[in-house]
Amino acid sequence: MASKYAGYMGKVMLVDLSTETVTEYPWTDQQRELYLGGKIMAARILCDHLTGKESPFSEENWVVIATGPLTGTGAPSSARFDVSALSPQTGILASSNCGGSFGFHLKKAGYDALILKGRCRSHRWLEINEDQFLFHDADELWGMRTSQCQEKLAELTGKKRFGKLCIGPAGENLVKYAGIISDERAAGRTGLGAVLGWKNLKAITAFGTKTIPIHDKEKTTAWCKKWIEYLQKHPLTGQQLPRMGTAGLVSSMQMLGILSTKNYSAGQFEDFEQVSGERLAEEFNITNKGCLTCPIRCARTVQVQGMAVKGPELETLGLLGGNICNNDLQKILDWNYELDELGMDTISTANTIAWAMEANEKGLWDNGLEFGKTDNLPQVFDDIAHRRGICDALAEGSKRLSEKYGGKEFAIHSKGLELAAYEPRRAVGQGLGYAVSNRGGCHLNGGYLVIMEGLGLHMDSQTPKAKADLTMTFQDLMETISASGQCLFTSYAFFPGFLLTKPNGILTKTVNAAAPHIGWAVRLINKYPRVAAIHLPIFHHTKMIELALGMKMNFGRYMEIGERGYTMERFINTKFGISAANDKLPKRLTDVPQDSGNPKTKVPLETMKKTYYQARGWDHNGIPTEKLLRRLKIK
Amino acid sequence: MITVRFYGLLRLDSGMKEQQLEADTVKEVYAQLTQLGLSRKALYGCVILVNGKPAGKKQKLKNGDRVQLMSPVAGG
Repeated sequence: MASKYAGYMGKVMLVDLSTETVTEYPWTDQQRELYLGGKIMAARILCDHLTGKESPFSEENWVVIATGPLTGTGAPSSARFDVSALSPQTGILASSNCGGSFGFHLKKAGYDALILKGRCRSHRWLEINEDQFLFHDADELWGMRTSQCQEKLAELTGKKRFGKLCIGPAGENLVKYAGIISDERAAGRTGLGAVLGWKNLKAITAFGTKTIPIHDKEKTTAWCKKWIEYLQKHPLTGQQLPRMGTAGLVSSMQMLGILSTKNYSAGQFEDFEQVSGERLAEEFNITNKGCLTCPIRCARTVQVQGMAVKGPELETLGLLGGNICNNDLQKILDWNYELDELGMDTISTANTIAWAMEANEKGLWDNGLEFGKTDNLPQVFDDIAHRRGICDALAEGSKRLSEKYGGKEFAIHSKGLELAAYEPRRAVGQGLGYAVSNRGGCHLNGGYLVIMEGLGLHMDSQTPKAKADLTMTFQDLMETISASGQCLFTSYAFFPGFLLTKPNGILTKTVNAAAPHIGWAVRLINKYPRVAAIHLPIFHHTKMIELALGMKMNFGRYMEIGERGYTMERFINTKFGISAANDKLPKRLTDVPQDSGNPKTKVPLETMKKTYYQARGWDHNGIPTEKLLRRLKIK
Repeated sequence: MITVRFYGLLRLDSGMKEQQLEADTVKEVYAQLTQLGLSRKALYGCVILVNGKPAGKKQKLKNGDRVQLMSPVAGG
């Protein structure tokens, strides 16, 4: 439905893959105000559709591919799109975000979102050219790796500049952690590539020449300019991320004792310098690169097999480095490329392999995998993607493997989704985030509190104090940033530069010392966000929405949208049986101190969970109350 | 002898991975590093660890201590 707000194209399309028919899905301005776009819009659509009886590999599992209203408006780092559906990895709601250009081109074709229902009767790919939705036979593409497939799509469409997403062999073979690739970027997590694979849909392309409307073009352009200058002057978004990427965190994590090592049995890797961001920058990085419209440009470009390709993120460096006891950086670059080509999540792949190595070491499962032994891994990756031999079992992920072979206490996942590279026993707020995150063990959806616990600010990383309330704030904030179509990294500039560049200054030390004691104040803002009916000078996002969309916005409304989204996702998950009992971490992280001489070095999860549920207004069992659901207009 | 290791942008900007110095405090380490051409502003922006533990500029040092200096990082 057409919108009075700019930024939106005004159309959400329901694509029935079974009948190859397309109809418009009603979506109103009131819904745009309540849910903004992206993952929250997807959650609303899925909340209305899902009953709790659907399974991930079924025609009833709708896949929502949603853009944000800021995509295409020139807002910094705003070309992201979201894919949401039930995850085959976790069995609950999943959303996976991607920096590829598909979302931008989908809007240029005239659409804010696609909903895919049903299942193609044979291998198909979908070509969208503005009003045309053309289904094509995909037998020729089936089996192709992701870059080869995308090259072929360019040839088949006859276009140079267009949007595309596809799955690789892993998605076709229903690997539980298969991702979706667009350009060089991945909607990597939660196995949504396998959902497309089950639906027999190999790829989608989008092309169009429509204009993306902007409310006040002159002021929007001026605001973007100001914001980009701010980001480029900020020590994180203007220096560290462009110059070192996320890889720059490896050394810092080592010093903090939070670098996952040997399947999270430790937080420091002896050979960390071999796989560090410094070494990557000095010896391997060709240049940095950014997603469309991104001034931060955190991506690395490295050399693999004579080609310039995307380099690894921190998660991949940590999890295919110290976590499997590998110190060969070139191998990580090669594997990172290979896994993208196969269309497989590097985080879950690496974690599953680390679990299998430990299971083998402990005599639970004779699988030929050993810590530090890496020569066989390229074949293992390929065999997982094609479900050959013993790797058919590895394609199921660490949760299912540990249920079959034992070793649950060292299967490092939450709700079936493997954790990122941050070992949380020395950053306990991050541990809480992993456990309560709506999509399972995700560092970002969990609230990324580690940014307060050493990677940015330096509040007491072992105390549970204030962690629950801060986690809620960050989760809600990032929820809305994501829904608007922007990258979460734009939020890092929320921290004034001087707090980061003067870690030993009196003011910074005061902030760090005070942080554990401000839980009550944070809770007040969380509970009554509308009191913050202002634009914060260091948070450019809200003004951007007003100028580009013409939608009334302030910090309080922005936070409330985030709370609505996060709670609605939880509400959907409760339909599938999720409760406090599922908000957990493996015993290794909650019961075994990282430092045997310091009993504090484990995650005091139950204490923090209780406070977290109180902060959110959920009951003691982690279920959002009726009153809250009504207040947030979810029901 | 004190071993100083550099990380983050401090290392990329200075081109230094490690220095061996004689010093009794971190402050003295800083003074010597400034003389070697490192930016005072960059040094004072660093997180300091001595033998793996967080420390300040006034931290006393003894022979064999290991100082790690890391410029600020975040985001992953």
